[in-house]
Amino acid sequence: MGMDMKMAWRNVWRNPRRTWLTICAIGFACIILIFMLSFQFGSYGTMINSAIRINTGHLQIQAEDYFAEKSMRQVVPEPGPVIRAVSGIESVQAVTARANAFSLVSSDNRTAGAMIIGVDPESEARVSTLETLVRKGVFLTKAEHGTNPALIGRLMAQNLQVDIGDELVVLGQGRDGSVAATALTVCGIYASGMEEFDRSTMHIPLDTFQEVYSMRGTVHEIVVNVSGLDRVGPVKRAVADRLDQIPGGKNLTVLDWDALMPGLTQAIKLDLTIGVIFWALLVLVVAFSILNTFLMAVFERTREFGVMMAIGTRPGRLVRIMLCESTAMTLVGIGLGIALGCAVTLIFQHIGIDLSGASEILQQYGISGRIYPQLSIISALAGPALVLIVTFAVSLYPALKIRNFKPVEAMMHV
Amino acid sequence: MKRIIVGLAVLICFAAAGHGRINDPDPRELVKGAVKYLRGNTSRAVVDMTIHRPDWERTMTIKAWTEGRENSIFWIAAPPKDRGNGTLKRGDEMWIFNPKVNRVIKLPPSMMSQSWQGSDFSNNDLAKSDNIVDQYTHEIIGRQTRHGKTVYVIRSLPKPGAPVVWGMQKLKIREDNILIRQAFFDEDRELVKALDMEKIEMLGGRLYPVKWKMKDAGQKEKYTILDYRSLEFGVDISDRMFTIASLKNPRL
Repeated sequence: MGMDMKMAWRNVWRNPRRTWLTICAIGFACIILIFMLSFQFGSYGTMINSAIRINTGHLQIQAEDYFAEKSMRQVVPEPGPVIRAVSGIESVQAVTARANAFSLVSSDNRTAGAMIIGVDPESEARVSTLETLVRKGVFLTKAEHGTNPALIGRLMAQNLQVDIGDELVVLGQGRDGSVAATALTVCGIYASGMEEFDRSTMHIPLDTFQEVYSMRGTVHEIVVNVSGLDRVGPVKRAVADRLDQIPGGKNLTVLDWDALMPGLTQAIKLDLTIGVIFWALLVLVVAFSILNTFLMAVFERTREFGVMMAIGTRPGRLVRIMLCESTAMTLVGIGLGIALGCAVTLIFQHIGIDLSGASEILQQYGISGRIYPQLSIISALAGPALVLIVTFAVSLYPALKIRNFKPVEAMMHV
Repeated sequence: MKRIIVGLAVLICFAAAGHGRINDPDPRELVKGAVKYLRGNTSRAVVDMTIHRPDWERTMTIKAWTEGRENSIFWIAAPPKDRGNGTLKRGDEMWIFNPKVNRVIKLPPSMMSQSWQGSDFSNNDLAKSDNIVDQYTHEIIGRQTRHGKTVYVIRSLPKPGAPVVWGMQKLKIREDNILIRQAFFDEDRELVKALDMEKIEMLGGRLYPVKWKMKDAGQKEKYTILDYRSLEFGVDISDRMFTIASLKNPRL
């Protein structure tokens, strides 16, 4: 075997230009695969994080059926103890409480339906990016004293034809079924980039909300942010455990961002599927070019194989040598590809990729204009592993072709 | 000769088959009559509205004035917390008034299918309760007998392009023009909700359904009941009654 390996290795370098071309094709495919996969993971991370940070949060504690039915009456009855219990859990960064109600919002000229969200201004600023999304006017915490401040979305402001300082009337239904009505003053206008959010939501201080909608101290959601996406699972389990110990906690449920934003996960899955199809095509192209090189090598060396068979080399041994040659080239290509691919990805992971065409729009909405690829074991090895399997499969065909050679005919071959 | 006899026989058969139809009243007139009967020319009523949900229940008292099929105005009289909240309907348009913020708000079209005050009646049910007559085509699909009176079952399908929310309605109208049941179906002909008249008594000088129950088809314990406490027909109503200025001055 040692002899075979040695022969294979020498054969590989007998035609350095052909070998290098093959190695480059394999290496380049690996670089692209590693970079693309890392880029995709990175952009998903950015998407998820910005969606989480704008509104949803990593985890939410709600009444059992609130997410499905969104009924005013399904509340977290005593938010205080729940917030205290959750705050104590490791990796929990920030906790806030919210309440929601669908109501009519009316300016002097226009009326529209809107989701009124009651937020605690102090803790909300730590959980969501709402404060940083304010493009005009000020956040709820800095609103003038004595006014009933309201923060509204950019598109809603447009629809209602209102600006900072204008008055809005909110008319809806309270938790006890009574008519809920109040007058508010617009203190700020935010733009998140999510059209639906900017068109249909309006934020007011939680205490105002609780008074207007007869909530009696209850809330609809307790929003929890943790230190990273990978901590969501453990914290979720810890929260569920603690809820069981709180009186009334049995009727509460904890949902993660995945359950709260099913559309986001679906969008990511769709994008990943398209990505997989693209990589498959890329690998296919590489496979054909490698097949071509190997096949040419066999044709070129037909005479050589004939001589070897004539002096008694068994076809099986020749096949083995051929496979060793192709595997050696593939491994060198993949090794170089992984090294270069990781290096390139790490560089971009550090400096980010400037989406200069779109960055102006993105920056306007509080999402940074840079996307950072995310190198991981999966993104570094999945592509090269695929290339390894495919090239090995492809090299079987020319190698096995040798078994059909007749020594005399092969030697006659030019 | 033989041919003539056969022809005559066929003719008689057709006449006999068509006979039942000729005796049936015109379905459109039935529906129109029923709507008119419920509303009268003018009326003044006091109604208790009870909203029932699996875990809670709430009753409010409403005072209402109506004129023909077009106009109506009503205010909540009780409970005290909601007293003075008013709704004005003129044609297909609706305005609501809240005394706390002292503002009149016109309901945008997008809100017309939302529920009125959290009840099972939508704003559309209140604003367009008469468009069943003109926007639908009606057909009598059955007859029943209840308490010795004939009840016609009418299927109403929206005319092509009609601006309505329902895919189909089924009405039961008694021969004396009293609406017994109105069922609302979506585009897939699935029952969404149904209005049942549960008690018919003398009120305001005529037989009248005094208890209306609007029930959600999906859930068992989700319904809204209208209980007529008093009702008068043919009352004098000034022209200024159905105006926005009047909406701001609750007559309670």
